[in-house]
Amino acid sequence: MALRSTAARLFLVPRQGEPDRGVYLFNLAAALVLLSLAVFWGIRSLGYELRWESVWKYRANLLRGFQMTILLSLGSLALSVVIGLFFGLAQGSRLIPLKLFARFYIEIIRGSPLLVQILIFFYVIANALGVQNRYTAGIIIMSIFAGAYIAEIIRSGVDSVGKSQRETARAMGLTPAQTYRLVIFPQVLTRVLPPLAGQFASLVKDSSLLSIIAVKEFTMAAREINAATFSTLESYIPLALGYLALTIPLSLLTRKLEARFSYDS
Amino acid sequence: MTLELTGLSKAFGDTVVLEDLTLKIEGRQSLVLIGPSGGGKTTLLRLMAGLEEADRGTLRINSHRLEREEKHLREYRKRVGIVFQNYNLFPHLTALENILLPLVHVHQWNREEARDEVMALLGRFNLEEHALKKPAALSGGQQQRIAICRAVAAKPELLLLDEPTSALDPEYTSEVLDLIGELRTEGMELVLVTHEIGFAQEVGDQILFVADGGVRQHGGVDEVLMNSTDPRVQAFLSKVLKHHTV
Repeated sequence: MALRSTAARLFLVPRQGEPDRGVYLFNLAAALVLLSLAVFWGIRSLGYELRWESVWKYRANLLRGFQMTILLSLGSLALSVVIGLFFGLAQGSRLIPLKLFARFYIEIIRGSPLLVQILIFFYVIANALGVQNRYTAGIIIMSIFAGAYIAEIIRSGVDSVGKSQRETARAMGLTPAQTYRLVIFPQVLTRVLPPLAGQFASLVKDSSLLSIIAVKEFTMAAREINAATFSTLESYIPLALGYLALTIPLSLLTRKLEARFSYDS
Repeated sequence: MTLELTGLSKAFGDTVVLEDLTLKIEGRQSLVLIGPSGGGKTTLLRLMAGLEEADRGTLRINSHRLEREEKHLREYRKRVGIVFQNYNLFPHLTALENILLPLVHVHQWNREEARDEVMALLGRFNLEEHALKKPAALSGGQQQRIAICRAVAAKPELLLLDEPTSALDPEYTSEVLDLIGELRTEGMELVLVTHEIGFAQEVGDQILFVADGGVRQHGGVDEVLMNSTDPRVQAFLSKVLKHHTV
C-alpha cells in the first residue's frame, strides 16, 4: 500500500512550483552520471575493448555521410511540406475524387512500414518513372512518407479553427480565399509548428533507412566503417551522437514552441 | 426599416423551421424577435443576415431583395453588421486588428485612416485601453462589445444581433445592452434576437413573437409584451418572467 501510494506520488502528482537553479543543475549532473555509469557498465560487461584509432582514419567518410543526411533531410523537409499542405487541404476538398485520393494516400503511407515503401518505390516506381539518381529518389521517398503525416497535422490544424470563426468571416463578407489567408492559416501555423518540428526530427532519423538502397548517408557510412574495421561500437556510437546532435535541437525547439503557444486562444 | 416576407419557408432536412411566412413591417427602427428556443427566431435572423438561403419565398429588407445566390448574398452581407452569441472574435488578432480586418480587406479602407476611425470608435465606448489586447485577455462583456464595434465600424445600414448576451455572465449583460441601446439612440437600425424581455421592452419598436415555424404575433411593446391576448405569448412571457420581480 505504502509503495503504491509512493509510486503514485512520484509519477502522477505534479510538482508544485519550479525547483531553483542550483537544485536543478545538481539533479541534471546526477542524471548524467547515472547514464554514463549505465553505458560504461554495459560496455564493460561485454568485455569489449574500445579501439578508436581504427575508426579515426575514416572520419572523413563519416563526416560526408553526416552532411548527406543533413542534405537529404533538408530536401525532404521542403518537399514534404508542399506535399503535406496539398493533401492536408485536399482532404477537405469538395471534389470527391481528390478527397478520396488524399485519404487513400494517407492511409496507405501511414499504414505500411517505411522500409517496404523505400524498396517498392525504388525498385518499381522510380524505375518506371525513370528516376535514376538514388539521392533524388531518396528525397522523393522520404517526402512522400513524411508528407502523409504532415497532411494529417495540417488537416487537424485547419479543423481546430472552429466553424464559428468561418461563419464570422462569412458574415463580414470575406471571400473563402480571404478567410483562409487572413483567419485560418495564421492560426493553423502557430498550432501546427510544435507537431511539425517533431515530425522533422522523425524525418532526420528515418532517413537512415535509405542506406538499404545504397544512398551514402550517415548510417551507410557507419556501416561501411564497421565492415572495414570490425569496430562496431566505435562506428555506431558516433552515429548515435550525430543523430542526437540533429534531433535534440529540434526537440528543444518543439518544447519551446509548445510553451509559447499553449496559452493562446 | 422595411421588412417584407412573402411565403418564406426554410427547413433543415426534415425539420421545418419556418413555414410559409408572410409579413410586412414598415417604418420601424428596431425589431426584436422573441420566442421559445427552437421556434425559428435565430433562423429568421440568419435569413435576414444573408447567412442562410430560403427554400421558398422572398425576403426584402429596405431596398434589398435577397437572392438565393452566395455571391449576391456576400455583397449584401457587406452592407449589414452581424453579431453572434459567442462574440467570435478572431483569437490570433488584437481587438484593434479584429475591427480593422473587415475594414481593410472587405471595404478597402486605407489602413491608417481606418485605424484612426477605429480608435475613435473604441474611445466612444470606453474600450480604447483594450485595443491592443487579444480576446483571451478580455472578459466576455468586453469581447462582445468589441465584436459589436467590429460589426458597426463600417457603418452598416442595419445591425443584426443573435442573442448577444446569452453567453455572458449576468454581471456583463448590462454593459453590452447599454452599448446596443446607445447605438439605437444614435439612429442605428437594429434586428435583435433576445431573451431579455426588459431590454426588448426598452429598445423594441416592433416585437415579433416567433414560434412553431412562424411569427405568431407582432406589434408594439404594448400589444405584444403588455397586453397580449394570445395564449402562447402569455404562456411564454409568464415562464420567462417567472423569477423577475418587475
